[in-house]
Amino acid sequence: MARATASRALIGMHIPDGLISPQTYLPALALAAPLWVIAGRRLRDRLGDEMLPRLAVFTALAFLLSTVMLPLPGGTSGHAVGVGLLALVFGPWTAFMAYSLVLLLQAVVVGAGGITALPVNALAIGFVGAWTAVALYRGLGLLGEAPAVLLAVWGAVMTSALILALVLGLQPWLAHAPDGTPRFFPFGPAVTLPALLIPHALIGAGEAALTLLIFRHARRRRWLAVRG
Amino acid sequence: MNPRFGLFAWLAAVVAVTLVHEPAWLAGGCAAVVVFSGAGRTVLLVRALRAVLPILLLISAGYLVMSWLTATPAWSFLLLLNLRVTLLALLTGWMLRDVRIERALQGWPRAQRWLSIVRVQVATFRRLAGEYRDAVKSRSTVAPTLWQRYRAGAALGLAVLDKAVYNAEAVTQGMRSRGALDE
Repeated sequence: MARATASRALIGMHIPDGLISPQTYLPALALAAPLWVIAGRRLRDRLGDEMLPRLAVFTALAFLLSTVMLPLPGGTSGHAVGVGLLALVFGPWTAFMAYSLVLLLQAVVVGAGGITALPVNALAIGFVGAWTAVALYRGLGLLGEAPAVLLAVWGAVMTSALILALVLGLQPWLAHAPDGTPRFFPFGPAVTLPALLIPHALIGAGEAALTLLIFRHARRRRWLAVRG
Repeated sequence: MNPRFGLFAWLAAVVAVTLVHEPAWLAGGCAAVVVFSGAGRTVLLVRALRAVLPILLLISAGYLVMSWLTATPAWSFLLLLNLRVTLLALLTGWMLRDVRIERALQGWPRAQRWLSIVRVQVATFRRLAGEYRDAVKSRSTVAPTLWQRYRAGAALGLAVLDKAVYNAEAVTQGMRSRGALDE
């Protein structure tokens, strides 16, 4: 029961405010800040009149993808992420920057996700997700484009889900009262791992198919800016 | 309220709330937000509760079951979690209602420009998708099957993507010709 309810609560991957301890989000911010600076500099060097509108459109698309609910067995649903698509079209650094902007927009414009959880979400989904997608796509290139894209995006979704499950699952251990009562997210990895990984295996498959469709279209239109 | 002050006050308040572990202080914070947020406080409260209620109910229910199975008291944690998450949602709702983000970002033209471009694109996508969906509906006499819906959705999505990119290119060229993108 606890696992099932936690699963329903966690299916929308990124974490809202109030569930992550300062012991987690402050170090995550310290790690993410220099990465944002590097990504920002790389983006500034590459951003021309051709790339700017495409990146804006794909960032908006990733924002909207994260509002598209994919139905899951059991009557629940989860949302797509879109970072795999950004990474395969623009490269991992640009994808990290663009996805961080998506998370920021969700936090300060829509009020979804959370501002304190933003560094954790940006690192797990934006940074690790983007690099996983690109690494798998390059590594699996011999299999052909379609399997490489599908596996790369699915792998990116699962890797991000794994990291977020571990981050959430460590909260009771990281932040608790002297008597052991948790202060933030209360469930350990035994609950969070299956709660996040099982539904995301299905969400990742849906997102991979969607990404393949858009990626092929982007390639036909010569929109790919493959270097990161 | 000065928008930049509002934005930074919200950021500071959100961080501070995660450092407080005393339910009485968090309850006081919730009461303070409701009292000081002025007219429209009921709407703010309802919106905040609607946003966090599902996740709070699910986590609380799971924790209650876990506590019952392990015979440990649950109320102190449940009070802490529910008050904290509600207070954070109230603060964010208040900020979203009263702070104009575009004005708060004055002095950071690059951030302001990015925010504007992406917001315009999101609005464009939504408008185009709505228009195309209505167009498809108006031409269909029978309800489509699930597979037809997926195929129409895919074709529609790609057409909207094309149109959005062309629109964005036109806007970028327009902005460039007026010097808006010059550093």
